[in-house]
Amino acid sequence: MMIMIRSIIRPEKADAVLAALMDAGFPSVTKYAVAGRGKQRGIKIGDITYDELPKVMLMSVVQEHDKQFVIDTIMNTARSTGKGAFGDGKIFVTEVDESYTISSGVKETSAEETSEASEEVPA
Amino acid sequence: MKEVIAVVRINMMNQTKQALTDCGIDAFFVHEAQGRGKGFVNPEILEGVQQGHEEAASLLGEKGKLYPKRLLTVVVEDSLVDDVVETIIETNQTGMPGDGKIFVVPLGDAVRVRTGEAGEQAII
Repeated sequence: MMIMIRSIIRPEKADAVLAALMDAGFPSVTKYAVAGRGKQRGIKIGDITYDELPKVMLMSVVQEHDKQFVIDTIMNTARSTGKGAFGDGKIFVTEVDESYTISSGVKETSAEETSEASEEVPA
Repeated sequence: MKEVIAVVRINMMNQTKQALTDCGIDAFFVHEAQGRGKGFVNPEILEGVQQGHEEAASLLGEKGKLYPKRLLTVVVEDSLVDDVVETIIETNQTGMPGDGKIFVVPLGDAVRVRTGEAGEQAII
């Protein structure tokens, strides 16, 4: 089964997380800039409330057995020093039904991928 | 109801928009994104890195360059998923690495804000 991991992280942590994923052997990722707030309702500095804070969204799709490892990698890298801080972000995990590589047109579905993997082991 | 998420080349956006319109998909949204894939990396090396061999990591070469891309999100009924995927592949396929990826993700529900309609009425 394929799993989509979307993580919202601090922009200044994006490079570190991307490098960590590359070192861990999961190079494929898509990054886009987003703005948002969490349950702390943004941040208040003096009289000014900032209720849309700039963040970066990283999206990557991995096999189910790599899920926990990738999540741990992102979480450990993106967390602020110490116990972490408000605003470090969130990770959302969803299932992916099908995935296609446009250049080759190859289709992977959740069911096929597991059967392929088991065939590769004896070879 | 499915969400089709496609990462495509920037210079293919106009053709992709036109092709989707021609196949009857009017509604979608686009993010500016950056991304990287496996690139030209040998899959065996990548497998070695995932198993934690340090020699393999040093063979990976140039690290982490992100290329500008467009992230296209289309929400359609289950019956239209194949049409959308086929259209995007036909339009964007050059055969070179970097053409992008398409992911099909199940979606619970959709609501049209203007009227409050939910379900399939909201995405027609």
